[in-house]
Order: sequence, then C-alpha cells, then structure tokens
Amino acid sequence: MRQVSERALDAASAAGATYADCRVINRTVQRLTVKNGLVAAVELFEDEGVGVRVIVDGAWGFASVDVLDPASVEEAARHAVQIARASSRVNRVAVRLAPAPPLTGVYRTPFVRDPFTVSLDDKVDLLLRTDAAMSNLPHVQIRECSLEFVREERHFASSEGALLDQTIVESGGGLDATATSDDEVQTRSFPNSFGRHQICAGWEAIEALDLPGNAERIAEEAVALLTAPPCPAGTMTVILDATQAALQVHESCGHPTELDRVLGHEAAYAGTSFLTPDLLGTFRYGSEHVTMTADSTRAPGLGTFGWDDEGVAAQRSLLVDQGLFTGYLSSRETAAAIGQLSNGAMRADGWSRLPIIRMTNVNLEPGTSSLEEMIATTKHGVYLETNRSWSIDDRRLNFQFGTQNGWEIVDGVRTRLVRNPIYSGQTPDFWRSCDAVAGPAEWQMLGVVNCGKGQPSQSMHVGHGAAPCRFRNVRVEPSR
Amino acid sequence: MNDDQELLGIGERALARVEHGEAEVMVVDERSELTRFAGNEIHQSVAERFRYIRVRLVHDGRTGVGEVRGHGADAVERAMTAAEESRRVTTAPDASPLPAPDGAGGPVAFAATTAAATPEDRAGLVAIVTGAAQAQRLNAYGALSTTTTTTAIVSSTGLRRAATSTQASLVTVVRGDDGGGYASRHSADFGALDVEGLADEVVDTCMRNQHATPIDPGDYEVVLSPYAVTDMLEHLAWVGFSALAKQEHRSFVRIGERLMSESVTIRDDASAPEVFPFPFDNEGVSTVPVKLIDSGVCAGVVYDTPTALRDGVVSTGHSLPQPNTWGPLARHMVMEAGTTPWEDMVESVSRGLYVTRFWYVRDVHPLRTLITGMTREGTFLIENGRITRPVKDLRFTQSIVDALADVVQISRERRLELGEGASGVLSPWLQIGRFTFTS
Repeated sequence: MRQVSERALDAASAAGATYADCRVINRTVQRLTVKNGLVAAVELFEDEGVGVRVIVDGAWGFASVDVLDPASVEEAARHAVQIARASSRVNRVAVRLAPAPPLTGVYRTPFVRDPFTVSLDDKVDLLLRTDAAMSNLPHVQIRECSLEFVREERHFASSEGALLDQTIVESGGGLDATATSDDEVQTRSFPNSFGRHQICAGWEAIEALDLPGNAERIAEEAVALLTAPPCPAGTMTVILDATQAALQVHESCGHPTELDRVLGHEAAYAGTSFLTPDLLGTFRYGSEHVTMTADSTRAPGLGTFGWDDEGVAAQRSLLVDQGLFTGYLSSRETAAAIGQLSNGAMRADGWSRLPIIRMTNVNLEPGTSSLEEMIATTKHGVYLETNRSWSIDDRRLNFQFGTQNGWEIVDGVRTRLVRNPIYSGQTPDFWRSCDAVAGPAEWQMLGVVNCGKGQPSQSMHVGHGAAPCRFRNVRVEPSR
Repeated sequence: MNDDQELLGIGERALARVEHGEAEVMVVDERSELTRFAGNEIHQSVAERFRYIRVRLVHDGRTGVGEVRGHGADAVERAMTAAEESRRVTTAPDASPLPAPDGAGGPVAFAATTAAATPEDRAGLVAIVTGAAQAQRLNAYGALSTTTTTTAIVSSTGLRRAATSTQASLVTVVRGDDGGGYASRHSADFGALDVEGLADEVVDTCMRNQHATPIDPGDYEVVLSPYAVTDMLEHLAWVGFSALAKQEHRSFVRIGERLMSESVTIRDDASAPEVFPFPFDNEGVSTVPVKLIDSGVCAGVVYDTPTALRDGVVSTGHSLPQPNTWGPLARHMVMEAGTTPWEDMVESVSRGLYVTRFWYVRDVHPLRTLITGMTREGTFLIENGRITRPVKDLRFTQSIVDALADVVQISRERRLELGEGASGVLSPWLQIGRFTFTS
C-alpha cells in the first residue's frame, strides 16, 4: 500500500499539486441472510482501490481507481490534478486548511475473536436457530435475520508527511419479524431496526446479542401489535428507548453540527443547519440534562478509529454541554473557516469517495436516572421502542419519528402495548424538554449503518451512545 | 473503458471455469465524474472508475454469490471462490433457476457526449448556473454528474447480454438572503441538458421564494410539481408495485380494484425513451412494460424470476441482483399525461398551495402508503387562481393512494426526474383536492 501511495503523491506533486493525500483501501464484507427458514443469501464482497485528493491553484480535485498498478495510480493522480485545475477556473476563493501535524502510526480495532475466523457454517447455524425460534407463531409472515462483518485495511499518506495504517473490524447482526392480518402489517426488530445492530468489535459482539434467545419474544410482540389499540393522541410525556434516542441524536444533533452543512457545502442535497456559528457558545440547545459529544476514541462505536480520513487524530469533543451548544464536527478546511482546528470528522465511504464531514460516535452522555424511575414518575405518557420511520427538515428542526411499538404509561405504571405511534416536534424545544437521561448502566453504544450524505451519495457507518431518556409535553399520535 | 464485448469475454471465461451446476456472471464497468458547487464555487469535483464481478453459482439446489470489486487479474478467480464458499453453506431447496435467453432486445440510453465529458466541460456548465445566480446576487449550490456504465451478464443457460448506458444530471439549489429555489435536469446526453432553462427556473423560484411567512398546517388543495410527484411514485414502487410485497401481504395493490382517480395511469416502461431506457434486468431478463395502475385500477406488479415462479407467471425483467430479499423493483415509471397546461391548474385553485419539491420523504405505514416529509425550496400560497406569496416549509403526512384518488387535474407537460433511489420517473404536475399538512 505504501508503494502505491508514494507513487500517487509523487505523480500529483509532479503534476502541480500543492497538497495531496492518498488513501489505499482494501475492504472485505461478509453478509449472511436467513429468511423464512432458508439461507436466502450468503454474499462475500471484496473491494480494493485508491483515492487521490489534491489542491491545485487553490481548488480541490479527487480521482480514484480500482487498479493499483503504477500507471493507473499515476493516471488517477494526474486526473485529480486536471479536475482541480478545471475547478480553479470557476473559483474565486482558494482552499485554506487548518494546520494539522503530520502523524504516523498504526491502529487496529480491538476485538476478542476475529469474526472472519468463525466459519460460515457456524454463522448460518446461528441464523437458522434464530429463525426457528420465530417459526411457530401464527401471523408471522416474514422472518428475517442477518449478520454482517466488515474488515477494512486503510492506508493514508499525505504530501505533508502523514503515514497511517488502520485495520477496522465491524460485526453486526439482527432480526425482524413481520406479522400480517387483512388490514395491518407490523414489524418488530431486535436489537435495532434497519436490519442489524453493528459495532466495531469481533464475534463476541454477536454472541452477546443472543439472537436466538430474543427471537420468540420479538415475534410475539409483532403479532400482538396487529390487534393492539392505537397509540393515544395528545401532548404528553415521551420516554425513548436507547435505540430511538440514538436516532434522535443522529438526526437532530449529529447532522446539524456538521460544519460543512453549516457553511452551505451540502445545501443542494443534505441541507444546511439551524446551528449557525453565531450561536456557538450561547444557544440553549437542550436542558441541563443534555450533554452530547463527538468521540471517536470511544470503543466500540462505528465511528471509532485512530485517525480520520485526512489524518487527524481521533478525539473527544463537546457538541452540547449541559444544554449549551458548544461545538461542531469539522474538517481541516471547514475548521479554518471559523478559526478553529479540525476535530477529526472527515470520513469517506471507501477509496472511491471523497472524504466529507461525517459523524464519528455522536453520543448522548449518560445521566443519573433509570428507565424504571422515569416510568415510575410519569403520570401519563408513552414509552417508545425501536425506530420505524424518521423524517426531519433540511435545517434539522422540524422532525417526525415513528416507532415500532409503544407502551402507554398511566400513573407511573407501564400498562398496555399500543401500535403505530408517531411523535413530532422542533429540535431545540424537544431537547429543552428533556428532564431525565438514564445512567451508565443503561447506556449502550449503538449505531446507524445507512447514514446517507454527499454527492455522489456516500453511506456511512456511525456510532451513537445513548440511554433511555424522557421528554415532557411532546405531541404524540397514531399514524392513521 | 471496456466495451460490451470485452466484458462479455470476461464473463464467458469465468463461466468456462465452472465445473458443476449452473452459473451466472455479471461484469460491470462504471466511470463516473461529478462536479459539485456551493456558494458559486466548485468545492468538490471527483472522478471514479471501478469494475465489479459478481458470480452466482447454483448447484445441488444451493445458490452462492461472490462479488469482487476491482480490475485485478485474479478478480474472477476470487469471485468464483467466494461464490463456491457461499454456495456450500446455503440451504436447499431455495435455489431459483437461472433464466434462459429470451431473445428480446430494446433501446439503451447512451450518448457519446456524456461518455466523453471532461472536468472542463462540467466546469463550463456549472459556470452558467453560478453566473445566473451571481447576476441576481444569489448563491448557487448543486452537482453536475456524468456516468457511463457497461453491464454484461452471461450464464450457463446460454444467456449473453451487454449494454453501455450513460446518464447526465444537474441538480441545483439557488439561495438568497431568506429563501431558495430548486431545479434539476437529467438526460442520457450531456449535450442535451437544458442548463439555461434550469438556471432560469431555479433563479426565478428563488427570487419568488424570499421572506416566506408561516401558514397554518391543515388540509389544502395542492398543485405538486413533477419533483414532488416523483417522490410519491417512487415510494409506491418501493412499498407496493413489487410482486414480493404483494406475495408477502404488505402491498396496497389489489389487482382489479379501483383505488385511484380514473385519470391516473402509471406504467413501468424501460423501453420509453424518456426514462433512461435499458433492455434487461440484473438476471439478464428483458424488461417488459408493465401497466401498474390503469385508469385508477390496480393492474399489475413487477416480477423477477423467484416471484414469477411463485405466481406461475413469467418474469417481467425487474430483478435486482439475485438472490435478494428485497424483491423486484419498478425503476422506469411513467405517469400518463393529462391535457391541462400546468399553469392553468394554478388558475383553477381558489385557495391552496403550490409545492416545488418534497424532502426527506419516509414511509410511516407502508401498507397504507402513508408517508411523511417536508416541503422545501418553494412552497407558495395560491389564492383565487394566482400564486400570491411564499410560505414557510410544511410537514405533510399523507397516504399516496388517497392523494392519487383525489386527483383533480394532470398536466400535459411532464419531466424526467430521478427519485431518491435513482429511479427514472416521468412525472407530470398534479392538482390534488386535499393534501394533509401536519406541522
């Protein structure tokens, strides 16, 4: 990999680049799916290539190729320079990077057991046992469970002298049970929706999930939802489980603190942000119970690494400190625009994509309460579990989320299961209404494996530590 | 870039290595470039070139898949090895047979100008948009992309197909002090992109959409632009127009029942020149036109080989790469045009909203086709047949089927749009009697 990057950087420099960096990436993915008792797919993917990013005449250029022979790598570097030159014809303002020390080092995801050393037979067996546990329930029309394992070897080098090698390993798994009747379809997922729960860890993460041991309960809940009463409507107290809290953090704190959005770089696609720089350090984002961090040092999140994709070291920074908006996710270019240093949030979806600002592990820090205490001190409300739908405006203010199920709380007691709950609000109002976050015992590192951003579109794996949390005076209703 | 014959050759050489059972080899070469701009500056401009080889082996009732992305000389061998490793652990008897050649053909969206477009060409077109914005003291944001893709599929059943297609897209937001506009254009032919038309449209929308004021949520009569209509149609494809969704009792489709206005006819037609025609699916099966909604009546769903076998019919050629748990997908939808000029629709609304586009549309209840999302970059109040003022963006939560049951008029003009899932959709403007905005 080092020979490839040296060749790319030399070619870029010779063609006129004043800055260049190069990422050589080899990615292997195993994906196994069992559906309705059959192994629906065992897919094995391999992917290798190089991406070269340059600055020429004050403009960026990027080119990538999946051929690692010297001629192809040099051609990609020269093409990146050609692209930058073409862009400089339009641009009036030169790119400026915040300083960052050129680092060298090696990082490897810590794990107990390499998931790629576990046989496919054992993985299939686990999924078939999970499926079997759901198979005897009436009305369960679709049973689906899956595993995914990722190993990515990343080599980064820059013309400033950075030289970094990382091996990132991810393990994920989950199950869905879908029950149907003549007029209703209900899905329950475990431990998270959208297919799986995934973290930077080894096979031990899959064993800890105990998919077979949870399958029947989840399928039973899907069946029960078919005839459950609709979620009550009104303004009431809402308690989110950790998985829904994680998505709420993702959409309403992670995205609006991306500094490229704030500066308009994503205005044509992902959108902008209500968290403009003039609000930094003064805006009351949430209540005193709300502290959010971007922490790429915190294992085992999907945003845990040694260095980001422009060579900035992993770090922890405050985004919201006891309710006060205090920081952004940034890159060298965007940080320079507001007179700061990058806090290491540049990430790319593989070798073929340009790094852009992405969430690392954006966490809701644990509080001091507990789910039990929150329920016991709620007169009327709903406890909502597992995301089903999510939508938020392009400035990240107006949101509406739906969850797979809800539990009505009456006089401090979790009473009946309710179906099709949705809740909505405005981001700052919502987080200001937060009056409790559960403590470390109920705090989990969760993640999102389908975070879309950028043109061309990039899908990123990001982490979110979260715990159950409670909000007052929230608009709740059933979807009709 | 390799041509069709070279990729077919790679596939056939891979097939020759198969010792037992049946095999399908898909080889895809793609070259894509994209120039992205923000604040009238090009801030990201990228080029990407890749190949992937996907091998599906079927033997003893078991199916295995291996996919390798890369031009390496050993890529075929690694894909074959992975496929066999995968096949060994799948369970019988779920193997879907590999389709035989069907002898059909069809048009392909291809233009040499797109394949040959350079970074300088793209920067030149971007300058037209940024220049139009700057002339009005506005800022332009967007992306101009060109993609050339060669797809080859060969199989041990004798199937042998390849095609090279192109796509050029320009998506633009222009923003002023307090509001923005949106416009996009798509074509197989880079040289045919109507960039001046786009620039005029997006600047005009932006200038009209300044200093929007709030309006109460509630039910409104609406005129939806093709950008918004495309989102609705694409969601129908995801949640309902798939044979698998119907077989699994999670689709709204009830064949033969009238669920929408008589004026609504929707078909999937991969041969239509307006929607990036492409002749075959990911199994190499010819994609045939399918009438999905016929004068408001549910008329059909799209099939791949597994779902077609289950229903005892022939695949319509809408397969994603097999095997998969998603089912088939309609990716070339065409909504029949009406007879009304779209501007006349506005004149017929006494009080309602004109919606330029939707944003972040998500399924709330797929069986009921209930979606939620926001309006964005151009929501206008219509009063007494005239657009009177811009209003703040609103959230809607609405059943698509209910909306299409309440269609008042369909425009005679249509636009090719790309949905969020990159499906090509030919959409008209729609006037809908009641549309629910919730916040």
